[in-house]
Amino acid sequence: MAISLRESVEIGLADIWTRKVRTAVTVVGIILGVMSIMVVLAIVNGMNKSTLQWMEERGGLNKIDVHRNWEMDRKDWSLASFSLSELKLIRSLIPEAAAFTPEISDRSTGITKGELYFQTSVSGVFPDMTIVDEWNISEGRFINYFDINNSNNVIVLGSKAATELFSNHNPIGEYVYMQGQALKVIGIMQEKYLKMQGGWGGENALEYMNRRAFIPLTTMLHKISPNQTIDELSIKASSPEKALKLKTKLENILLNLKQGKKLFEVSSIKEQMDQMKQNSLMFTVIFVLIAVISLLVGGIVIMNIMLASIQERTREIGVRLAIGARRIDIFIQFMVQTILITTLGGVIGIVLGYAILNMVGTYLSMELVASLSMIYAALAVSVGVGLVFGIMPAVRASNLDPVNALRNE
Amino acid sequence: MALIETKDIIKDYDMGKVKVRALNGINISIEKGEFVAIMGPSGSGKSTLMHIIGCLDAPTEGNYILDNLKVSQLHKSELAAIRNKEVGFVFQTFNLLPHLNVLKNVELPLMYAGMSSKARIKQAKDILDSVGLSDRLKHKPSELSGGQRQRVAIARAIVNNPAILLADEPTGNLDTQAGSDILSIFSELHAKGHTIIIVTHDMAVANRANRIIKIIDGKIVDGNIAA
Ligand SMILES: Nc1ncnc2c1ncn2[C@@H]1O[C@H](COP(=O)(O)OP(=O)(O)OP(=O)(O)O)[C@@H](O)[C@H]1O
Ligand SMILES: [Mg+2]
Repeated sequence: MAISLRESVEIGLADIWTRKVRTAVTVVGIILGVMSIMVVLAIVNGMNKSTLQWMEERGGLNKIDVHRNWEMDRKDWSLASFSLSELKLIRSLIPEAAAFTPEISDRSTGITKGELYFQTSVSGVFPDMTIVDEWNISEGRFINYFDINNSNNVIVLGSKAATELFSNHNPIGEYVYMQGQALKVIGIMQEKYLKMQGGWGGENALEYMNRRAFIPLTTMLHKISPNQTIDELSIKASSPEKALKLKTKLENILLNLKQGKKLFEVSSIKEQMDQMKQNSLMFTVIFVLIAVISLLVGGIVIMNIMLASIQERTREIGVRLAIGARRIDIFIQFMVQTILITTLGGVIGIVLGYAILNMVGTYLSMELVASLSMIYAALAVSVGVGLVFGIMPAVRASNLDPVNALRNE
Repeated sequence: MALIETKDIIKDYDMGKVKVRALNGINISIEKGEFVAIMGPSGSGKSTLMHIIGCLDAPTEGNYILDNLKVSQLHKSELAAIRNKEVGFVFQTFNLLPHLNVLKNVELPLMYAGMSSKARIKQAKDILDSVGLSDRLKHKPSELSGGQRQRVAIARAIVNNPAILLADEPTGNLDTQAGSDILSIFSELHAKGHTIIIVTHDMAVANRANRIIKIIDGKIVDGNIAA
């Protein structure tokens, strides 16, 4: 014949309403705690998401990039590029690499087709690019070595580039123009898609990749953009672990090739990824600590206020016991009340947390990802805090002696 | 056997070095349907005895048998059920919950009895009607006169239709008129068959009872035989 939970909730809500100011004070710690949990989770989510995006763009953990060392001597600038025969040599020295491609990009020219002009980034690459970047074609074929050897006028379009230039028509076999050169469309790349985070709707974070286009490296070098030099390489190892070894080996090869001068930087995605993970772990630990401490402080504040409140309401408890409340009824009454207060704090914390995330997110243009599971987590935590810190006051209330409680002034 | 039987009840309060003996061998026997007044000087143990009779407190020694049940052998939740259903308490200081309105105060015992909201609102309204307060349902206790407050307290005490009504100086804080209104209610309840025990300093009040029990220094000095 215990009183129902509904009754306890009603009593609790009525108490909260009669003691508005006290409740507001009580709840501040929990609000802060829940807010920091929201922020932590959003940042962690965001970091995971941007790491994912970063990985996607770069083509996985097996990848190694070679690019100019920006700290080299000014006078060595002209040396910091590769000839086609040097490329061949490098490739022959690393037979264990699964794939190998240089890359030259032309970001200024754009593609035309009749009246249409499409501003984009066109890259000159080797056939291996599809392996290195783990990005395949969806239609037609990709550039092959025959195209490279003959500097063929062929182009592979990203999915967005294709629809922008050809709308619904099949572009394969059609021609587009760059620098007066007619380029035959031979293939379309698969569409890349990664959902943008939270508040910004369903936009594709990788849309810019779908705008790109690819031509043979030699065509770029000889016909489109003769002033450019080859200074970027992408290499794919057969595994992330081998990528680390291959990276060291490549560094040595390039040093030997360029008279011991460090003209190029070799970086492994795996290495960078590990670094990023370590950074994000540290960050997470710090914020989790902040959240835990503020929840702890919030919980202790609530416990003390509940204890004071029970002291003040001793006589009420005596009256309830005198008219037939059981100890469990009193226990539940105060337990429910504490949990209601912390949950209220949790809800306010979630709302404020969201507001802050939106503000900070736009202000820092940082990757903050808010999700529904975060709300559940924050709610669970605030209920949990109420449970843990509500026990002691509720036990004390339910253990009061009825007569002493009634005599209390 | 009588409804209320106490056997050599002793109640000590342990005050560190000294022990205060509030009750010193109480033997009383009260039949169902009696209207008993308990009188005695201040500090003689009247309230202490009432608390024991009402199962709010336990004697240090001796036995209390309520309706053939040995109270000392009952579990705490069983005691709560007795306080809820068998005994109604009326205090000198009313002891209404200040944040709850009149109706809610009277509903409380029914709530702890597990009655549904709808049923208990009806029952509480009926009882409040019988003590003449049906036009004050939504008032807070602070918005009522002393006499009205005590009528709410009586309504709360009898809403579960308990066999026994215990009143500890129920008219102590009231003027003569309000006090006599309250006493009329007790007389009515007695007429309906409730067993009523009332602590009072006022001889005029005590004269309403069938029997007067006198306590001095925790001992019964007079009136322990049914009239
Ligand atoms: N909680 C307590 N701790 C210590 N002593 C107590 C306690 N409660 C009551 N007493 C003592 O027990 C004795 C009886 O008290 P009780 O309240 O029963 O007297 P009473 O007859 O009701 O007096 P009054 O007419 O003033 O209400 C008193 O001496 C009192 O001081
Ligand atoms: Mg007294």
